Amino acid sequence: MRTKTAAAAVRSLPYVDHFELTEADYRRILGLALARGGDFAEVFCEYRTFGFILMEEDIIKETAESISLGLGIRVLKGEMTGYGYTNEPSWPEIKRAAQTAAAIASGRAARPLSSLKRARSSFRLYPVRVPSHRASLDQKIGLVREAYQTARAHDPKIVKVKAALGDSIQYVNIVNSDGLLIRDVRPLVKLSCSAIAEKDGRKESGYHGGGGRVGLEYFEQTLKPRTIGLEAAGEALRLLEAREAPAGEMPVVLAPGHAGVLIHEAVGHLLEADFHRRKTSVLWDKLGTQVGSGLVTIIDDPTIPGYRGSYNIDDEGTVPRPVLLIEKGKAVGLLQDFLTARFFKAAPTGHGRREDYSFWPLPRMSNIYIAAGPHDPGEIIGSVRKGFYAEQFQGGQVEDSGKFTFSVSSGYLIEDGRLTAPVKQATLIGSNIDILKKVEMVGSDLKFSLQTGTCSKDGQDVPVSDGCPTLKIARMTVGGLA
Amino acid sequence: MKDVGSRAELRRLAERLVKLGKACGADEVEVHVGRGIEFHVDVRLGAVENLVEAGSRSVGFRVIKDRRTASAGSSDLSWPVLERLMKNAVARALLASSDDCAGLPPHSRFKVEASTLGLYDPEVPLLSSRAKIDLALETERIALSDKRITNSHGASFSAHHGGIILANSNGFSGEYEQTYCSLGIGLQAGATDDLAEDGWSSNRRRFRDLESPEAIARKAVERTVRQLNPRKIRTQNVPVVFEQDMTAWLLGFLFGCVSGTAVYQRATFLADKLGRRVAADGITVLDDGLMPGMPGTRPFDAEGVPCRKTAVVEAGILKNFLTNTYAARKLGTDSTGNGDGSGVGPNNFYLVPGRSTPEDIVGSVEKGLLLVRTLGHGLNPVTGDISRGAFGLWIEGGAVAYPVSEVTIAGNLGDILNGIEMIGNDLDFRSAIAGPTLKVAEMTVAGT
Repeated sequence: MRTKTAAAAVRSLPYVDHFELTEADYRRILGLALARGGDFAEVFCEYRTFGFILMEEDIIKETAESISLGLGIRVLKGEMTGYGYTNEPSWPEIKRAAQTAAAIASGRAARPLSSLKRARSSFRLYPVRVPSHRASLDQKIGLVREAYQTARAHDPKIVKVKAALGDSIQYVNIVNSDGLLIRDVRPLVKLSCSAIAEKDGRKESGYHGGGGRVGLEYFEQTLKPRTIGLEAAGEALRLLEAREAPAGEMPVVLAPGHAGVLIHEAVGHLLEADFHRRKTSVLWDKLGTQVGSGLVTIIDDPTIPGYRGSYNIDDEGTVPRPVLLIEKGKAVGLLQDFLTARFFKAAPTGHGRREDYSFWPLPRMSNIYIAAGPHDPGEIIGSVRKGFYAEQFQGGQVEDSGKFTFSVSSGYLIEDGRLTAPVKQATLIGSNIDILKKVEMVGSDLKFSLQTGTCSKDGQDVPVSDGCPTLKIARMTVGGLA
Repeated sequence: MKDVGSRAELRRLAERLVKLGKACGADEVEVHVGRGIEFHVDVRLGAVENLVEAGSRSVGFRVIKDRRTASAGSSDLSWPVLERLMKNAVARALLASSDDCAGLPPHSRFKVEASTLGLYDPEVPLLSSRAKIDLALETERIALSDKRITNSHGASFSAHHGGIILANSNGFSGEYEQTYCSLGIGLQAGATDDLAEDGWSSNRRRFRDLESPEAIARKAVERTVRQLNPRKIRTQNVPVVFEQDMTAWLLGFLFGCVSGTAVYQRATFLADKLGRRVAADGITVLDDGLMPGMPGTRPFDAEGVPCRKTAVVEAGILKNFLTNTYAARKLGTDSTGNGDGSGVGPNNFYLVPGRSTPEDIVGSVEKGLLLVRTLGHGLNPVTGDISRGAFGLWIEGGAVAYPVSEVTIAGNLGDILNGIEMIGNDLDFRSAIAGPTLKVAEMTVAGT
């Protein structure tokens, strides 16, 4: 999946240090941050521009452009974090932020500062030929119009369409008291479309989209705007014919791709190392033990080129690596950031991420997926006499206790081994260990879900993606009306 | 901590940007400046875990040229950057489509005096870091002294003070200062494989209105331990009692369905129901931006339209949708002062309380669910359909019997509003959307 063009493309995006700080300035800031005895200090500089185009009611309704500029300073003292930030690039403000962060410790400056060493990531994960942030507004409006008009014209029952393109380019510069100085320039683009279909007073909605850390050529080569429009309209139309979801406990088959959100919710969050440091995760005492079916292997990989959740370095400057979280049902790995890795005396895995400069990093997922298994997808559906096939998902939520829900926007009944009536709007609920144990069959058809996902944790949003093959769960509670 | 950029400087900046936009060729310009100081501390197991304090400011603007709109924002307030963004915005506007409803609100002679609204508590910016940290530590200490509690997610204190400045080319120029503070805690009880978790927090504009560490800790403990040792139940249709926070959650969904944006887009099941019965007789839902000291109170909305009180549902009849200027023009009405960013947002959006005590309401249920928390997505404004994971307590013979787990509730907002049988007397504005305890005649509770 690695591409050769990526490296050249990233070099074409020049890094601009909008704070105009020199290495000497950075050393001075780190010195101030450690003046009260902190044992680690870090400066995170960010400059990001966002673009947005919205089409609805048959017109380009609005365009927006925004700039986010800021610098966050973090000081660690043991497990304690002091944090200050500013979006005013003046020396007095930067100094004040450093002093605020420094105040987490109370003592003397402990050690002399090492000199800074410029580092580079070994990855070039953003295959960009046509950078979206540089493309003309006309070109981008063209993509939005194509998605919109395809959906609108698809069927007279489509009564309302909305299409939007959002893009950003983020320049980060990370410097820390271990002497690291490293940079990344991260592109991100997303084109999405939603459609509402109406028949006999009943309305249903559909959604589709894609993108990632890619250039606009993605919308010619990988996912055409036309496809996005068609899929959104098609889902809305299918739901018009759907009946109420069944309620109760039954076998559930998860469609490949979209159901990755279950892996994200049910497993990924509970293997984020901060929940283990605090012992609040239901899995904190289960590393090395069998927690699920031997068919289940789960990996989080920040190094898949072009994916939304990927990055050359994480938001602490660590070069990331794929982490094996569950191996044949055994919990074997954690997603670490700098703080948790230090606590566990482990190596950081490159999963320290933050929404922007105003937040400190947390262990987060990137692109999480369940590895392909031995079963033929048809054979999996064929094995269910009466059950539920969950196809499209709106999202999910998990608590540290392992209890999770996720919302299915559309699916099918399974009757005598065949998909029959389409059904809408159901909720799947369960607890993670229970579900992992009840995975009965794993398909050979691994797919990733739409490249449109965002994960929220402690009020911070980061782009992510997830994937899975067709999965059969022996029994699961389905909440519906029928 | 010193303020970031003086109020006077930022107000001048806003007015200067309005002039710049006009000079660049915009027909109309609106400039919004926010500034604030944030303090936040997390403590856990008796020690500070995170401490952050920072000031920030940002500017946002919107230009309209030939009824075409473009917007921009920046946290970089240097003049050359803002100048470039403004020029780009005017140029970009011409690439958008002409829209008859685009534009700023007309100038209003009516004005609300911000100083009468109780938005600002001078005590909040003066609180020492020590005092704020101690409140969080004290809350956690009291909670952990209860032996049934097995772990803490930590206690937090947050405070914010700052201001909003708005200026536009129709002659509006206004500003207000406001404060918020909150104290809360999250807890776990039970063994690792049978964890119950919950918490409690108090959020107010005035520091002296916050609940005490004792009260917060006690509530958090009680809410957590009551969920220990849950049982599964069979799928059935039963009455459901909504606790205050659950009523607020339901009202949040209702807000999305009466927002003018959803109505003109026909993305809500209530779009054609104006003047018709949408809820039981006793139900009145109001949006009121002028209630002194409340979380959603403000003198004017994001477009400078004076806030007011709007009846949304009155005695079960849908009376008004809530709008910003754009949605109002689409619907042929006047803005209700609910402009929020580029969309429509609540002021204080609440369900008027009734006479029943929460105890009376639970006491009236022979067999049913007391809903205390939901999890997940599963709200569809187009249809009003609701399907969510739920945590609750099973009621038998008018009393709470045991907690239930792995259930989902499903229903339709229209049916739920029409099925409200009892309304509590316990309205408390813990956030801008609030409501009392409610009893709904019947919903599907799915279990095994």
